[in-house]
Amino acid sequence: MYFAGIDVGSTMTKAVLTNEGGELLSAVKGPTGPEHRRLANEVMRGALEQAGLQIDDISYIVATGYGRVNVPFADRQVTELSCHARGVFSLFPGVKTAIDIGGQDVKCMKINGGRLIGFVMNDKCAAGTGRFLEATAATLGIRLEDMGDIASKATKRVQISNLCTIFAQQEVVALLSRGEPLENIVAGLHIALASRVAALAQRLVIEPDLALTGGVAMNTGMVRAMRESLGRDVLVPEEPLLTGALGAAIIANEAYREAAEDGTLPTGTRRLEEATFFAEEDL
Amino acid sequence: MSDQSSGLSKAQEIYSNRSRRARELKAEGRKLIGYPCVYVPVEMLTALDLIPYRACGDIREPVTEADRALPGSFCAVMRSCLDCALKGKNDFLDGMVAIHSSDPQEKTARVWESYTDHPYFHFIDMPVTVRPEAVEYFTSQLDDFRKTLEAFAGRELSADRLKQAIDYHNRQRGLVRQLYDLTKTSPPAISGTEILQVVKAVMGLPVAEGNDLLTEVIGEARDRTDRPEKKPARLLLWGSTLDDADVMQVFEAKANVVMDDSCGGVRAYRADVKLTADPLEDLARYYLNEITCARTFRQASPGETSKAYTKDLQSRFGYLDDIIREWNINGAIMLLVRYCDPFAFEMPALKDYFESLGLPSTYIEYDYTTGALAPLRTRVEAFLETIA
Repeated sequence: MYFAGIDVGSTMTKAVLTNEGGELLSAVKGPTGPEHRRLANEVMRGALEQAGLQIDDISYIVATGYGRVNVPFADRQVTELSCHARGVFSLFPGVKTAIDIGGQDVKCMKINGGRLIGFVMNDKCAAGTGRFLEATAATLGIRLEDMGDIASKATKRVQISNLCTIFAQQEVVALLSRGEPLENIVAGLHIALASRVAALAQRLVIEPDLALTGGVAMNTGMVRAMRESLGRDVLVPEEPLLTGALGAAIIANEAYREAAEDGTLPTGTRRLEEATFFAEEDL
Repeated sequence: MSDQSSGLSKAQEIYSNRSRRARELKAEGRKLIGYPCVYVPVEMLTALDLIPYRACGDIREPVTEADRALPGSFCAVMRSCLDCALKGKNDFLDGMVAIHSSDPQEKTARVWESYTDHPYFHFIDMPVTVRPEAVEYFTSQLDDFRKTLEAFAGRELSADRLKQAIDYHNRQRGLVRQLYDLTKTSPPAISGTEILQVVKAVMGLPVAEGNDLLTEVIGEARDRTDRPEKKPARLLLWGSTLDDADVMQVFEAKANVVMDDSCGGVRAYRADVKLTADPLEDLARYYLNEITCARTFRQASPGETSKAYTKDLQSRFGYLDDIIREWNINGAIMLLVRYCDPFAFEMPALKDYFESLGLPSTYIEYDYTTGALAPLRTRVEAFLETIA
């Protein structure tokens, strides 16, 4: 028996396939783009190919993420908060708090035995999210994935006072024109973002183990800055982008067992191909 | 949906186009006075045959005109209200009454007064404590309001007329409470979304017409066979302004909202005005003491110097305890419109209070736009997953 989790995030779509023992069979990532449903298909097809499976081999599919409602072939939708909690717990069984920094959200989660028991999210704007780094990287003319390395070469950290993404870009321009070295500015951006996220997380009572996930956790500079801002160690999974999809696959496995017991298993065939964003009813 | 002649569908129709009925009344020669907040004593308008019309914002209308006068990081409801007014959406109003329920409303009122040309405008100052001196001061403010209203209406607002109007509005309060009684069952006989639509419709109608509509809706909902679907959670929604059915539906997609503490819902109706010899003072006492909005500061006991947190929580939020038990509520959402500081500051203490009752709660801030619906859905669903 096989299970799938698909996480349609604001920036990236991720799909994970597992067997009934919870073993990871394949994982595929792709940019989300404007057509959620079409990409959900492509990413799922990629994951199936990698695992050498057909869509009909999958017993239960859970969709999560911002675009979870746009996955017509899923059996159930679960929020990314519950899925991250479940996914992180499967990787770090001692985890009590997790912070996921995604493209448009920051989620701080309290976890008990893999279950989400409380959370806070950014509520004013995109300040404190991956978008902050993306936008400022574009202003600086550097690649997002190089930011961590650049920051590590800093001789000092420039204070970035503005957390509004737009105003921070202006501030960066002003710093550049003042002749501030790039690496010092980038280091300053990391600590500015990390302190914002830490302040949000501290609305919850942070208990160890603490894990950091989401696309931003792939940036080593951010991991360093988060450790510093929180004053404690943070665990980072090897694939920090995949915890949501992984959690969704695990929840799919559990949901399947529950449904089998209750006799409420989903029936009918899945149609991966028919699911396009421009479905007929929308025209 | 039920047949067109039913009370519920009538209420839904008024809800989705409130100004249509208002314009009809205007065409019949009636005068309508707008008010943006439930602290305005609508009884005084009714007593002079003026129709109180709750002026609302619109989450579907991008704020453009109000940007000329108000900053972006400002009460999103007031910005939207003013924006609608500046775009002429309330041009049937003969006047506007605003009140110092919060600083953003006070600032917005001044702009409103300068940028629109309603024949009548009045701003009521209102204290923020419930001390006896506050009641005295507020009564004097209401007396000033009475004078400008009398000048506008061209007749006297007698104590008898005011008492009669208070009776009508008390009857409305009783009917709205009966409406909420219908959600005590599981499944509820009426959904939170329907209640919101009915209440918002009533807030734009003459009191007697509103009472007739409420009576009709209550009778219909009581006997209906097509009750709202039973959902796994019964929620209490506490917060500043929730006046849009689409926002309410985000909550009701996977839960039943059986009670609220919102100024788009029960807040203006939970208690009656108690009549004594001086109806103006009765109104002052009622609006200061009985409306539970974070803008009013409630001390456990005025003048008391010792600080007892539990006692303080009890005096500020004790009324919610009965509601939670009577309506069998198993989750509370503290819903704030962005930049609503009075409610944001109230939230941590209320969270403690809910915790002391063993009731799970979450805090969600939303932007007063349709863009807020998707992020709102994720937060609501995640909360429901934690209490499932």
